[in-house]
Amino acid sequence: MASPSLIPAGDFRTSYAVDTTIFPTTTGRNFAILGVVLICFAPQLLSEYWLSQMIVIGIYGIAALGLNILVGFTGQISIGHAAFFLLGAFTSAYISNKTPIPVFFAIPLAGIVTAIVGLIFGLPAARLKGLYLVIATLAAQYILIDFFSRAEWFSGGSVPAMAKPFSIFDYELRGDRKYFYVVLAYVVVSYLLVTNLMRSRDGRALVAVRDHYLSAEIMGINLTKYRTLSFGLAAFFAGIAGALYAHYQLVVSNEGFGIERSILFLAMVIIGGTGSIMGTLMGTAFVMLVPEAMEWISMELKGGVIDKALALNNNLTFLREIAIGLIIIAFLVFEPDGLAHRWRQIKTYWKLYPFSH
Amino acid sequence: MNTQFLLQLLVNGLVVGTLYGVVAMSFVLIYKATQVVNFAQGELLLIGAWVCWTLLTKYQVPFWLGMPMTLVFMFAFGILVQVVILRPLIGEPIISVIMVTIALSAVFQAALKWIYGVNPQPFPRVFTSQSVTIGSLQIQTVYVMSLVVSVLMMLGMAWFFKVSKWGLAMRATAFNQQVAQSLGISVKTVFAMAWAISAMVSAVAGVVVAVVNGVSSGLSIYGIKVFPAVILGGLDSIGGAVVGGIIIGLLENFAQFVDSEYLHWGNLYEVAPFYVLIIILMIKPYGLFGTKDIERV
Amino acid sequence: MTMKSYLASASIALLIAGASASAQAQIAVGHLADYSGGTSDVGTPYGQGVVDTYAWINKNGGIGGKQVNLDSNDYGYQVPRAIALYKKWSGADKVAAIMGWGTADTEALTGFLAQDKIPDISGSYSAALTDPTGAGGKAKPAPYNFFYGPSYSDALRAELTWAAEDWKAKGKSGKPKYVHMGANHPYPNAPKAAGEALAAELGFEVLPPLVFALTPGDYSAQCLSLKSAGANYAYLGNTAASNISVMKACKAAGVDVQFMSNVWGMDENAAKAAGDAADGVIFPLRTAVSWGGNAPGMKTVQEISKISDPSGKIYRPVHYIAAVCTSLYMKEALDWAAKNGGATGENVAKGFYQKKDWVPAGMDGVCNPSTWTDKDHRPTTKVDLYRSKVSGSTDGDLNDLMAKGTIKLEKVKTVELPRKPEWHGW
Repeated sequence: MASPSLIPAGDFRTSYAVDTTIFPTTTGRNFAILGVVLICFAPQLLSEYWLSQMIVIGIYGIAALGLNILVGFTGQISIGHAAFFLLGAFTSAYISNKTPIPVFFAIPLAGIVTAIVGLIFGLPAARLKGLYLVIATLAAQYILIDFFSRAEWFSGGSVPAMAKPFSIFDYELRGDRKYFYVVLAYVVVSYLLVTNLMRSRDGRALVAVRDHYLSAEIMGINLTKYRTLSFGLAAFFAGIAGALYAHYQLVVSNEGFGIERSILFLAMVIIGGTGSIMGTLMGTAFVMLVPEAMEWISMELKGGVIDKALALNNNLTFLREIAIGLIIIAFLVFEPDGLAHRWRQIKTYWKLYPFSH
Repeated sequence: MNTQFLLQLLVNGLVVGTLYGVVAMSFVLIYKATQVVNFAQGELLLIGAWVCWTLLTKYQVPFWLGMPMTLVFMFAFGILVQVVILRPLIGEPIISVIMVTIALSAVFQAALKWIYGVNPQPFPRVFTSQSVTIGSLQIQTVYVMSLVVSVLMMLGMAWFFKVSKWGLAMRATAFNQQVAQSLGISVKTVFAMAWAISAMVSAVAGVVVAVVNGVSSGLSIYGIKVFPAVILGGLDSIGGAVVGGIIIGLLENFAQFVDSEYLHWGNLYEVAPFYVLIIILMIKPYGLFGTKDIERV
Repeated sequence: MTMKSYLASASIALLIAGASASAQAQIAVGHLADYSGGTSDVGTPYGQGVVDTYAWINKNGGIGGKQVNLDSNDYGYQVPRAIALYKKWSGADKVAAIMGWGTADTEALTGFLAQDKIPDISGSYSAALTDPTGAGGKAKPAPYNFFYGPSYSDALRAELTWAAEDWKAKGKSGKPKYVHMGANHPYPNAPKAAGEALAAELGFEVLPPLVFALTPGDYSAQCLSLKSAGANYAYLGNTAASNISVMKACKAAGVDVQFMSNVWGMDENAAKAAGDAADGVIFPLRTAVSWGGNAPGMKTVQEISKISDPSGKIYRPVHYIAAVCTSLYMKEALDWAAKNGGATGENVAKGFYQKKDWVPAGMDGVCNPSTWTDKDHRPTTKVDLYRSKVSGSTDGDLNDLMAKGTIKLEKVKTVELPRKPEWHGW
């Protein structure tokens, strides 16, 4: 990710390939690879609690990445992302339960199915902009959730559906310690894929649509195609993430994936920084860890004066919701560019230390 | 076909629909004046209802006094929200503003549950809840009251925009902020006023619903129901919002009729408006009464 | 970039792991509570009851000298959160037992519980949890699921038995009409098939079910449907908050119907909130008496209540007392396990099979005698039916309202259902 302030003087780019490279320096790339290798040891080093947190962050990170393509790169807003996530989860559970297809293949298949449904819902989206689109996705959220609660053949209706543990033919990966690698692989592949997509012609077309769709159209970019495509892509990643979630939890229920979850996905993207790929992961980690931090704080306060005065024990969830809401507002008001922007500033600061202002 | 039942449902739909209309109207008011899509409209309604409930039950204030007090509170509250939270966001992209109102709605919703608990609370009897029989139909007096209150509010709103100075200033601002400013209208004040009035109108609707059903977090669903209504009417048409609200109310109850007589799905009534919404957006992306904005490069 | 933060989290993780090692001498029990979700109206008093009871147990010496480490979590009535907590409990924490809650999450956990051998005494009384071996063929085997009280299906069967007699007693002719009402959710749906089958058998005309959400709202349209269909007996499958909305809306719409509620659908708070709309609702009671009732065990309950309310002035609804009973059954099962080879999940489950017509110590006259066997997890098939009586305005303190008799829970009938094998598991 090229950020001008980090490039030393005299470093000129003479071709597009150099300009769009993912890692401007070799050290940067080596560090990234080293990071991924180190994370591979996480299951051996971390406690189960932290491991499960990392798995969940990884899964939601993939879904948020999909949403960031839509919001950050194409400038369209969706508040129905959780429904697509759930569709992926149910589809993968359905495929792996009802057909002999192993889970290994069911996950990408679920992504494809979700992408197709996303494209269908994306069709009106091609005509709609801004608010009207937001509201169309709101409708998609309600319609899909209603469908899940009714379609007994598909999702088991109101009864939660069971999903099989992850397996490749006969080899089964059970438990967090093994499943971690599955999620890690998907995270790395998805993030590389999207990073590369954004360097391609299609990626630039998406950004052009966001920045000024009329100009983009005049320049020969097919608006309908790219708007629908971004919807399909967003749904695809939501579906993959949902499928990963299904085989992680082994139970899929349509509870907890209402509009609040969609909003949470949006929060991840916004807090991370719209249009920033690594920011998405930071945003996801932030949004997932705030409730945990709230939990620790309340544990610390347990039995104290503040606890008694505010009756924290039974109202923790409400406090957590208030805190998350306020943090989102604070971010939008004080840090509209998200964590990615802050991260870049910190990096620049150290780069120039001690001469930074 | 059970005509009696259908009629009864449609009357119910009309009553609920006018309430949707009122909330939709206050939603459009904010949108028109400030270009903000307010996802926290339902919570404004809920806050109004809880405040009135608190005054009436905890402080034993009589209704004739409690209601104006609630309105004054909501007026101040609307201004507060606008000034503290939304004013810094002027000029930010639309997604940020939408996200802020969504976050606001989450904060209000949680805060109210924290303060008032999760149980619904009965509203003190304001009107005697008897029913009048018109022809073969039985209609609750509360419903009649609610219908009357809604229509009065709509008329008041019409007067406000057509005649009053503030209303005209607001319309001018909605038309073109720069021109309005150059004519000596304080756009900032207009923004704050829009929120204040919208909060007040929502609160009235909230109290009316609360009198019928009791106060509970369920009231905020009106904030979601408002979307199909305003899309139907077109986002920037106040008259359209009212019509849209009534249509959605009727539609819901008609869906319930079809459901309980023929389909037996159980909750067609909840999702029907959203199917309609998608269809409308496919056919008329700017709603039935909305203006299509012409863009120039 | 991520490396640094992961290293930081790894070091925190090590610290946490170190801290939990010192807590080994305790018995860990997981607790799923709903303080904020769809059933928080009744989940709050129940959850409070569980927390208070375990605090009281710890105050009185714990279990076999060990303190109970109750890990209470508000999971908002959402299956995914329950599963996530369960993973924590079955993995790192290794709990001896779980104090469960909802139907959807308990039924989703059943398979895992059997696999990991962790007993779960739930707040869900779904009949699908009563067949430990699966021999009945109606439900999947649920060897580690327990609950205290009649199952949802049995309670509804008792109500229908009463309704059939009531219809005759009122001297009405023709077939009475019965309708099932509730959200499209595993919990209200749990007794649906059982109820409709028995209703048809008893000569009711069974109407298509009506759906209303678990949250309070405006249900006038449903009430108009109820009126138009001419239902005589309606079962409310949801919890109190949404049932109140229905009762109020139906009262306003002038619907003449006898409501029969699920065990979680009616309590003193609900009667207060619904006012005269709640008058005459039939509901089952799990305990022999309600708060302040005349029974030797009530003293223990009041003592437990003082844990979170030292003033002793708060009125505890029926769900609180049921939670006390449930927790004490679990406590005694844990006690037995601790004495017989240690408090492991397997031993705790065996602990439930040790007694017949079991009442926890100090709870005489409060908890109803219950029996669990390794073939049948229906603790009782005896159902006490009560009627809520509301006379006059329900403004004011619940204690006063109950003392003055404005709100009364009136016993209607005790139905002793046969333990039919074909009723086992649904």
